[in-house]
Amino acid sequence: MKTLLIFLALICLLASCESTNYAPPPVTSQMAIVGARQHVDAVMLREGRALFVSRCIECHTLPAVAQHSAAQWPGLIDEMADRANLKPAERKAVLAYILAARAQL
Amino acid sequence: MRKFFLSIFFLSILPAVSCFSSARHFTFVYETTTSAPGSVEFENWVTWRRTTEPARFDQVDFRHEFEFGITDKFQASIYVADWSHARDQDRSGFTYSDSALELIYNLSNPVIDPIGLSIYQEFRGGDRLFEWESKLIAQKNFGPLVLAYNATLEAVWEGKGLAERSGELQQALGASYEISPRISVGIELLHEFLFPDWRDQKKIRNVFVGPNISYRRSSWFVTATALAQATETEGEPDFQLRTIFGFGF
Repeated sequence: MKTLLIFLALICLLASCESTNYAPPPVTSQMAIVGARQHVDAVMLREGRALFVSRCIECHTLPAVAQHSAAQWPGLIDEMADRANLKPAERKAVLAYILAARAQL
Repeated sequence: MRKFFLSIFFLSILPAVSCFSSARHFTFVYETTTSAPGSVEFENWVTWRRTTEPARFDQVDFRHEFEFGITDKFQASIYVADWSHARDQDRSGFTYSDSALELIYNLSNPVIDPIGLSIYQEFRGGDRLFEWESKLIAQKNFGPLVLAYNATLEAVWEGKGLAERSGELQQALGASYEISPRISVGIELLHEFLFPDWRDQKKIRNVFVGPNISYRRSSWFVTATALAQATETEGEPDFQLRTIFGFGF
Protein backbone atom coordinates (compact mmCIF):
# COMPACT_ATOMS: atom_id res chain seq x y z
CA MET A 1 0.00 0.00 0.00
CA LYS A 2 2.90 2.32 0.83
CA THR A 3 4.38 1.70 -2.63
CA LEU A 4 1.05 2.49 -4.23
CA LEU A 5 0.75 5.78 -2.37
CA ILE A 6 4.30 6.76 -3.35
CA PHE A 7 3.48 5.94 -6.96
CA LEU A 8 0.25 7.98 -6.87
CA ALA A 9 2.11 10.91 -5.31
CA LEU A 10 4.74 10.68 -8.06
CA ILE A 11 2.05 10.73 -10.74
CA CYS A 12 0.34 13.76 -9.15
CA LEU A 13 3.69 15.52 -9.03
CA LEU A 14 4.34 14.79 -12.70
CA ALA A 15 0.81 15.90 -13.61
CA SER A 16 1.18 19.16 -11.73
CA CYS A 17 4.42 19.84 -13.61
CA GLU A 18 2.46 19.43 -16.83
CA SER A 19 -0.40 21.77 -15.95
CA THR A 20 -0.42 23.54 -19.35
CA ASN A 21 -3.61 23.00 -21.33
CA TYR A 22 -2.53 20.81 -24.22
CA ALA A 23 -5.99 20.31 -25.71
CA PRO A 24 -6.08 21.82 -29.18
CA PRO A 25 -8.52 24.75 -29.40
CA PRO A 26 -12.12 24.10 -30.47
CA VAL A 27 -13.25 25.42 -33.85
CA THR A 28 -14.27 29.09 -33.66
CA SER A 29 -15.88 31.46 -36.15
CA GLN A 30 -12.45 33.06 -36.67
CA MET A 31 -11.04 29.67 -37.63
CA ALA A 32 -13.95 29.14 -40.01
CA ILE A 33 -12.95 32.36 -41.79
CA VAL A 34 -9.38 31.11 -42.13
CA GLY A 35 -10.72 27.73 -43.30
CA ALA A 36 -12.96 29.38 -45.90
CA ARG A 37 -9.85 30.76 -47.59
CA GLN A 38 -8.77 27.14 -48.10
CA HIS A 39 -12.29 26.17 -49.23
CA VAL A 40 -12.91 24.31 -45.98
CA ASP A 41 -16.07 24.85 -43.93
CA ALA A 42 -16.54 24.70 -40.15
CA VAL A 43 -17.95 21.17 -40.32
CA MET A 44 -14.78 19.94 -41.96
CA LEU A 45 -12.63 21.82 -39.45
CA ARG A 46 -14.49 20.12 -36.61
CA GLU A 47 -13.94 16.76 -38.29
CA GLY A 48 -10.27 17.64 -38.69
CA ARG A 49 -9.98 18.38 -34.98
CA ALA A 50 -11.76 15.15 -34.05
CA LEU A 51 -9.37 13.16 -36.25
CA PHE A 52 -6.34 15.08 -34.97
CA VAL A 53 -7.10 14.30 -31.31
CA SER A 54 -7.95 10.66 -31.91
CA ARG A 55 -5.78 9.27 -34.71
CA CYS A 56 -2.50 11.01 -33.88
CA ILE A 57 -2.43 9.79 -30.28
CA GLU A 58 -2.55 6.16 -31.39
CA CYS A 59 1.21 6.31 -31.86
CA HIS A 60 2.49 9.36 -29.97
CA THR A 61 1.26 12.15 -27.75
CA LEU A 62 -0.40 15.12 -29.41
CA PRO A 63 1.96 17.88 -30.54
CA ALA A 64 0.90 21.49 -30.02
CA VAL A 65 -0.21 23.12 -33.27
CA ALA A 66 2.46 25.79 -32.70
CA GLN A 67 5.18 23.17 -32.41
CA HIS A 68 5.77 23.22 -36.16
CA SER A 69 5.55 26.00 -38.73
CA ALA A 70 2.72 26.34 -41.26
CA ALA A 71 5.20 25.27 -43.93
CA GLN A 72 6.23 22.12 -42.00
CA TRP A 73 2.76 20.78 -41.22
CA PRO A 74 1.75 19.59 -44.74
CA GLY A 75 4.87 17.41 -45.00
CA LEU A 76 4.38 16.02 -41.51
CA ILE A 77 0.73 15.17 -42.18
CA ASP A 78 1.65 13.48 -45.47
CA GLU A 79 4.37 11.49 -43.73
CA MET A 80 2.06 10.21 -41.00
CA ALA A 81 -1.26 9.96 -42.83
CA ASP A 82 -0.73 6.37 -43.93
CA ARG A 83 0.21 5.33 -40.43
CA ALA A 84 -2.96 6.97 -39.07
CA ASN A 85 -4.98 5.41 -41.88
CA LEU A 86 -6.27 8.83 -43.01
CA LYS A 87 -8.10 9.02 -46.31
CA PRO A 88 -7.26 12.00 -48.61
CA ALA A 89 -10.32 14.00 -47.47
CA GLU A 90 -9.50 13.30 -43.80
CA ARG A 91 -5.88 14.28 -44.37
CA LYS A 92 -7.08 17.57 -45.85
CA ALA A 93 -9.44 18.17 -42.91
CA VAL A 94 -6.70 17.57 -40.32
CA LEU A 95 -4.29 19.90 -42.09
CA ALA A 96 -6.95 22.59 -42.54
CA TYR A 97 -7.81 22.44 -38.82
CA ILE A 98 -4.17 22.64 -37.74
CA LEU A 99 -3.43 25.60 -40.00
CA ALA A 100 -6.62 27.40 -38.95
CA ALA A 101 -5.91 26.79 -35.26
CA ARG A 102 -2.32 27.85 -35.72
CA ALA A 103 -3.37 31.07 -37.42
CA GLN A 104 -5.33 32.02 -34.27
CA LEU A 105 -2.29 31.90 -31.99
CA MET B 1 -6.42 -28.01 -40.46
CA ARG B 2 -8.03 -25.23 -38.39
CA LYS B 3 -4.68 -23.38 -38.27
CA PHE B 4 -4.44 -23.67 -42.03
CA PHE B 5 -7.86 -22.09 -42.54
CA LEU B 6 -7.05 -19.37 -40.00
CA SER B 7 -3.86 -18.56 -41.94
CA ILE B 8 -5.81 -18.40 -45.19
CA PHE B 9 -8.38 -16.14 -43.54
CA PHE B 10 -5.76 -13.67 -42.29
CA LEU B 11 -3.88 -13.65 -45.57
CA SER B 12 -7.09 -13.06 -47.49
CA ILE B 13 -8.12 -10.02 -45.45
CA LEU B 14 -4.71 -8.36 -45.49
CA PRO B 15 -5.12 -6.70 -48.89
CA ALA B 16 -8.38 -5.17 -47.69
CA VAL B 17 -6.81 -3.49 -44.70
CA SER B 18 -3.90 -1.19 -44.42
CA CYS B 19 -1.43 0.50 -42.22
CA PHE B 20 0.01 0.49 -38.84
CA SER B 21 -2.44 0.91 -36.02
CA SER B 22 -1.28 1.92 -32.57
CA ALA B 23 1.96 1.90 -30.63
CA ARG B 24 1.93 1.01 -26.96
CA HIS B 25 3.50 3.14 -24.26
CA PHE B 26 3.03 0.32 -21.73
CA THR B 27 3.03 -3.47 -21.71
CA PHE B 28 1.03 -4.34 -18.58
CA VAL B 29 -1.23 -1.28 -18.63
CA TYR B 30 -3.77 -0.75 -21.40
CA GLU B 31 -4.47 2.65 -22.99
CA THR B 32 -7.87 4.02 -24.00
CA THR B 33 -6.94 4.68 -27.62
CA THR B 34 -8.31 2.28 -30.23
CA SER B 35 -6.89 1.49 -33.65
CA ALA B 36 -7.95 3.44 -36.75
CA PRO B 37 -10.79 1.81 -38.68
CA GLY B 38 -9.47 -0.53 -41.34
CA SER B 39 -6.04 -0.89 -39.77
CA VAL B 40 -4.48 -4.17 -38.76
CA GLU B 41 -1.47 -4.92 -36.65
CA PHE B 42 0.37 -8.05 -35.57
CA GLU B 43 1.81 -8.08 -32.09
CA ASN B 44 4.13 -10.56 -30.45
CA TRP B 45 4.32 -10.65 -26.69
CA VAL B 46 7.08 -12.31 -24.69
CA THR B 47 6.87 -12.38 -20.90
CA TRP B 48 9.58 -13.95 -18.77
CA ARG B 49 8.72 -14.64 -15.14
CA ARG B 50 11.15 -15.88 -12.48
CA THR B 51 9.94 -17.29 -9.19
CA THR B 52 12.42 -18.30 -6.50
CA GLU B 53 10.19 -19.16 -3.53
CA PRO B 54 9.46 -21.92 -2.59
CA ALA B 55 11.59 -23.21 -5.50
CA ARG B 56 13.23 -21.67 -8.52
CA PHE B 57 10.93 -21.66 -11.53
CA ASP B 58 11.21 -19.88 -14.87
CA GLN B 59 8.40 -19.42 -17.33
CA VAL B 60 8.35 -17.64 -20.67
CA ASP B 61 4.90 -16.83 -22.09
CA PHE B 62 4.34 -16.07 -25.76
CA ARG B 63 1.34 -14.40 -27.37
CA HIS B 64 0.62 -13.73 -31.03
CA GLU B 65 -2.13 -11.20 -31.52
CA PHE B 66 -3.88 -9.67 -34.52
CA GLU B 67 -5.47 -6.30 -33.77
CA PHE B 68 -8.17 -4.84 -36.03
CA GLY B 69 -9.58 -1.32 -36.04
CA ILE B 70 -13.31 -1.75 -36.69
CA THR B 71 -14.68 1.78 -36.20
CA ASP B 72 -13.26 5.01 -34.82
CA LYS B 73 -14.12 3.84 -31.32
CA PHE B 74 -14.06 0.06 -31.47
CA GLN B 75 -11.30 -2.47 -31.97
CA ALA B 76 -11.14 -6.24 -31.84
CA SER B 77 -8.16 -8.50 -31.32
CA ILE B 78 -7.60 -12.19 -31.68
CA TYR B 79 -4.94 -13.94 -29.65
CA VAL B 80 -4.11 -16.67 -32.13
CA ALA B 81 -2.13 -18.59 -29.54
CA ASP B 82 -0.88 -18.14 -26.03
CA TRP B 83 1.79 -20.68 -25.24
CA SER B 84 4.65 -20.99 -22.80
CA HIS B 85 7.91 -22.64 -21.94
CA ALA B 86 8.41 -23.53 -18.30
CA ARG B 87 11.47 -24.85 -16.54
CA ASP B 88 12.08 -25.94 -12.96
CA GLN B 89 14.57 -28.27 -11.30
CA ASP B 90 12.87 -31.43 -12.54
CA ARG B 91 11.44 -30.72 -15.97
CA SER B 92 10.99 -28.28 -18.80
CA GLY B 93 8.73 -28.05 -21.81
CA PHE B 94 6.35 -26.13 -24.06
CA THR B 95 2.61 -25.91 -23.45
CA TYR B 96 -0.21 -24.43 -25.52
CA SER B 97 -2.42 -22.48 -23.17
CA ASP B 98 -5.31 -20.80 -24.94
CA SER B 99 -6.64 -18.46 -27.61
CA ALA B 100 -8.76 -15.39 -26.97
CA LEU B 101 -10.96 -12.63 -28.30
CA GLU B 102 -10.46 -9.11 -26.98
CA LEU B 103 -12.84 -6.18 -27.55
CA ILE B 104 -12.23 -2.53 -26.65
CA TYR B 105 -14.75 0.29 -26.95
CA ASN B 106 -13.66 3.88 -26.45
CA LEU B 107 -15.99 6.21 -24.55
CA SER B 108 -14.03 9.45 -24.28
CA ASN B 109 -10.82 11.06 -25.43
CA PRO B 110 -7.81 11.47 -23.10
CA VAL B 111 -6.77 14.78 -24.66
CA ILE B 112 -9.93 16.88 -25.01
CA ASP B 113 -12.22 15.26 -22.43
CA PRO B 114 -11.62 15.58 -18.68
CA ILE B 115 -10.62 11.92 -18.70
CA GLY B 116 -10.34 9.30 -21.42
CA LEU B 117 -12.28 6.11 -20.77
CA SER B 118 -12.58 2.74 -22.52
CA ILE B 119 -14.20 -0.55 -21.62
CA TYR B 120 -12.51 -3.85 -22.34
CA GLN B 121 -13.81 -7.38 -22.52
CA GLU B 122 -11.82 -10.53 -23.11
CA PHE B 123 -12.97 -14.12 -23.57
CA ARG B 124 -10.30 -16.78 -23.35
CA GLY B 125 -10.63 -20.47 -24.05
CA GLY B 126 -8.17 -23.35 -23.97
CA ASP B 127 -7.75 -26.92 -22.91
CA ARG B 128 -9.94 -27.18 -19.81
CA LEU B 129 -9.83 -23.42 -19.42
CA PHE B 130 -12.28 -20.57 -19.77
CA GLU B 131 -11.52 -17.05 -18.66
CA TRP B 132 -13.56 -13.87 -18.59
CA GLU B 133 -11.79 -10.57 -18.09
CA SER B 134 -13.43 -7.15 -17.83
CA LYS B 135 -11.50 -3.94 -17.58
CA LEU B 136 -12.15 -0.25 -17.15
CA ILE B 137 -9.38 1.80 -18.73
CA ALA B 138 -8.79 5.43 -17.81
CA GLN B 139 -6.20 7.72 -19.33
CA LYS B 140 -5.20 11.35 -19.33
CA ASN B 141 -2.61 12.96 -21.58
CA PHE B 142 -0.80 16.06 -20.38
CA GLY B 143 1.26 17.03 -23.40
CA PRO B 144 4.10 14.51 -23.57
CA LEU B 145 2.98 12.79 -20.36
CA VAL B 146 0.56 9.84 -20.54
CA LEU B 147 -1.10 8.61 -17.35
CA ALA B 148 -3.17 5.43 -17.48
CA TYR B 149 -5.12 3.39 -14.95
CA ASN B 150 -6.80 -0.01 -15.34
CA ALA B 151 -9.25 -1.73 -13.00
CA THR B 152 -9.61 -5.39 -13.94
CA LEU B 153 -11.85 -8.21 -12.79
CA GLU B 154 -10.89 -11.67 -13.95
CA ALA B 155 -12.79 -14.93 -13.49
CA VAL B 156 -11.21 -18.27 -14.35
CA TRP B 157 -12.77 -21.71 -14.72
CA GLU B 158 -10.32 -24.57 -15.27
CA GLY B 159 -9.59 -28.23 -14.75
CA LYS B 160 -11.82 -31.22 -15.31
CA GLY B 161 -15.36 -30.05 -16.01
CA LEU B 162 -14.10 -26.50 -15.43
CA ALA B 163 -14.75 -27.18 -11.76
CA GLU B 164 -11.84 -25.18 -10.36
CA ARG B 165 -12.74 -21.52 -10.02
CA SER B 166 -10.73 -18.52 -9.08
CA GLY B 167 -10.86 -14.77 -9.38
CA GLU B 168 -8.56 -11.81 -9.45
CA LEU B 169 -9.01 -8.13 -8.97
CA GLN B 170 -6.21 -6.01 -10.33
CA GLN B 171 -5.44 -2.36 -10.59
CA ALA B 172 -2.63 -1.10 -12.74
CA LEU B 173 -1.09 2.32 -13.03
CA GLY B 174 1.26 3.65 -15.64
CA ALA B 175 3.05 6.89 -16.39
CA SER B 176 4.96 7.44 -19.58
CA TYR B 177 6.88 10.50 -20.72
CA GLU B 178 7.62 11.03 -24.39
CA ILE B 179 11.21 12.17 -24.74
CA SER B 180 10.76 12.39 -28.50
CA PRO B 181 8.01 11.23 -30.89
CA ARG B 182 9.95 7.97 -31.18
CA ILE B 183 10.96 7.27 -27.58
CA SER B 184 9.10 7.28 -24.31
CA VAL B 185 10.08 6.09 -20.86
CA GLY B 186 7.96 5.50 -17.80
CA ILE B 187 6.90 3.36 -14.91
CA GLU B 188 4.22 0.73 -14.36
CA LEU B 189 2.67 -0.64 -11.20
CA LEU B 190 0.41 -3.65 -10.68
CA HIS B 191 -1.61 -4.29 -7.55
CA GLU B 192 -3.25 -7.72 -7.48
CA PHE B 193 -5.81 -9.30 -5.18
CA LEU B 194 -6.03 -13.06 -5.77
CA PHE B 195 -9.09 -15.08 -4.76
CA PRO B 196 -8.54 -18.86 -5.04
CA ASP B 197 -12.00 -20.54 -5.09
CA TRP B 198 -13.37 -16.98 -4.94
CA ARG B 199 -12.39 -16.82 -1.28
CA ASP B 200 -10.12 -14.30 0.39
CA GLN B 201 -8.95 -16.45 3.29
CA LYS B 202 -5.28 -16.38 2.28
CA LYS B 203 -5.27 -12.61 1.74
CA ILE B 204 -3.00 -12.85 -1.28
CA ARG B 205 -1.88 -9.40 -2.35
CA ASN B 206 0.87 -8.69 -4.84
CA VAL B 207 2.48 -5.45 -5.88
CA PHE B 208 4.82 -5.26 -8.85
CA VAL B 209 6.58 -2.10 -9.93
CA GLY B 210 9.21 -1.21 -12.49
CA PRO B 211 10.34 0.92 -15.43
CA ASN B 212 9.40 0.74 -19.09
CA ILE B 213 10.68 2.03 -22.40
CA SER B 214 9.04 2.28 -25.80
CA TYR B 215 10.53 2.89 -29.21
CA ARG B 216 8.52 3.33 -32.42
CA ARG B 217 9.24 3.69 -36.11
CA SER B 218 6.92 4.25 -39.05
CA SER B 219 5.55 0.72 -39.22
CA TRP B 220 6.65 -0.98 -36.01
CA PHE B 221 7.17 -0.45 -32.30
CA VAL B 222 8.74 -2.25 -29.40
CA THR B 223 7.91 -1.69 -25.74
CA ALA B 224 9.53 -3.37 -22.73
CA THR B 225 8.74 -3.35 -19.02
CA ALA B 226 10.68 -4.91 -16.15
CA LEU B 227 8.69 -5.44 -12.96
CA ALA B 228 9.94 -6.52 -9.55
CA GLN B 229 7.69 -7.80 -6.80
CA ALA B 230 7.45 -5.23 -4.01
CA THR B 231 5.63 -7.67 -1.73
CA GLU B 232 6.92 -11.05 -0.52
CA THR B 233 4.26 -13.44 -1.75
CA GLU B 234 5.54 -17.00 -2.03
CA GLY B 235 4.77 -18.69 -5.34
CA GLU B 236 4.45 -15.42 -7.22
CA PRO B 237 7.16 -14.13 -9.60
CA ASP B 238 9.97 -12.08 -8.08
CA PHE B 239 10.69 -10.60 -11.47
CA GLN B 240 8.80 -10.17 -14.74
CA LEU B 241 10.06 -8.85 -18.05
CA ARG B 242 7.56 -8.23 -20.85
CA THR B 243 8.31 -7.14 -24.39
CA ILE B 244 5.72 -6.36 -27.07
CA PHE B 245 6.83 -6.04 -30.65
CA GLY B 246 4.14 -4.84 -33.07
CA PHE B 247 4.10 -4.10 -36.74
CA GLY B 248 1.49 -3.10 -39.30
CA PHE B 249 0.84 -4.27 -42.79
